[in-house]
Amino acid sequence: MLVNRPVVIVQLPEQLNPSTAQSFQQEVEPLFESHRPRIVLDCSLVRSIDGNGVEMLLHCLEEAMKRDGDLKLAAVSPESAVLLELMRVDRVFEQFGTSEEAVRSFNAMPVEAVPQDAPWYSSVFGELGVLRQAS
Amino acid sequence: MLGAIVIVGPEDAVSSLSSAETPEPVPLSIPTDRDGGSLLACVEVLGRSVLERVLDELRCASLDAIALLADDAYANRVGIGQTLQNASFLLVKDVWAGAADALKKYRESGIESSLIIRVSAYAEFDLKEAVQSHGEQREVITRVFSDQTALDIWVVDIAGLNLSSDTPADLAATLYATPSAHYEVRGYVNHLEHPRDLRRLVVDSLSNRCRLRPQGLETRPGVWMEGGADVHRGARIVPPAFVGRGSKIGEQCLITRCSSVERDSEVDYGTIVEDSSILSNSYVGIGLDVSHAIVQGSTLLNLERGVALDIADPTLIRRNKSLSMEALRTSTLDSASGMSFFVSAEEHRNETVARREESDASSLGDVRF
Repeated sequence: MLVNRPVVIVQLPEQLNPSTAQSFQQEVEPLFESHRPRIVLDCSLVRSIDGNGVEMLLHCLEEAMKRDGDLKLAAVSPESAVLLELMRVDRVFEQFGTSEEAVRSFNAMPVEAVPQDAPWYSSVFGELGVLRQAS
Repeated sequence: MLGAIVIVGPEDAVSSLSSAETPEPVPLSIPTDRDGGSLLACVEVLGRSVLERVLDELRCASLDAIALLADDAYANRVGIGQTLQNASFLLVKDVWAGAADALKKYRESGIESSLIIRVSAYAEFDLKEAVQSHGEQREVITRVFSDQTALDIWVVDIAGLNLSSDTPADLAATLYATPSAHYEVRGYVNHLEHPRDLRRLVVDSLSNRCRLRPQGLETRPGVWMEGGADVHRGARIVPPAFVGRGSKIGEQCLITRCSSVERDSEVDYGTIVEDSSILSNSYVGIGLDVSHAIVQGSTLLNLERGVALDIADPTLIRRNKSLSMEALRTSTLDSASGMSFFVSAEEHRNETVARREESDASSLGDVRF
């Protein structure tokens, strides 16, 4: 049976420098111990970010992916976006305007919307499945 | 006889007249709003600033006298490293008062007309034609226009100006407010109001849309390099592009889409510079992607997003530590007296002549201002 796991939203601190990045990483470490963690990092408060901050973000993403989960960024300021682009990591993260949008993206196809007794391809091919059965 | 006065001065010349206080020092970081003007004209573009190019052009025109007056807030900017041959250079608190004094001296030495240029826009026009037009229109002042927009360039009959007043503001007020004859520029004009205009000037020059030519030699079609540029064999330079003197491009780097790396800068291993300008003496770190941007020291201005970042992490971007002693000397001013001259003016006279000759040899035609 498929279960809709919760999405955790975590607020990033205002400064992401070596010390704050390390303490933040220790703080969120337990979140990655669950199976398929779904995490949104809210960047709305971030005012400055450096190379260590970006490394920390990459480490968090790596941890989430190790456990079949995902990590998404929300409300990235233009300044932070420029830095992510500069360090060529902007393409690695899914980014959303708000945390709500990021959460919704995890649930793009709610489990309830797909009949659990139907064949797996019916949600994608629908009519095609019917046609194949007919032929 | 014709003289010229070049002013590197306050951004808003007219509004500064109303203020009796000394203007605030101009920040050395990249201006992000419409406050470019003289500040941007002092930034090196493809090896030489607009100010230096204007002075070169005046020297080539064999004028009887040239004076450069710089607001003292611009001292570091003007001290980019060029000496003035056959010209006097003064750092003054009030450039307009200084200009009035210079005009008086011109009159005493028999010079009838003078060109007055407040360096802000880059404009290509025929100086002789402008002076001829001034003579034909028989006005005391002729102002240069581009598409009905007034530029801060005038031709004046010195005898017709009232220079007796002790109020420094008078000359600027006269030039800006007095109805004058018009001379319309037909050539290329870049107003240099925003750093975006600086990028446009680079792109237009590298794309042959204006007469501004990069310094150095065209080592292969569209790739310009100055002496001392060090490009690793494993780096790729896609034309058109420019690499300034003493700059270093590391292995696996890509410089592309009308990018320029000005003098004494370094682009480190694997970094991509695309549609960007790395201004002089800047370091860009390993494995970065600089796109649609201007980098100066630790400041990155992203033109696409309109965001200026001051990056504290020196492994990313910073002022280049490996400054040559020459660059250090030429950017230093002897400010012991009220009227400062470059410390190393004599030392660099020969070098300047050599660079001019090299530049003349490599240029495709006359660059006009």
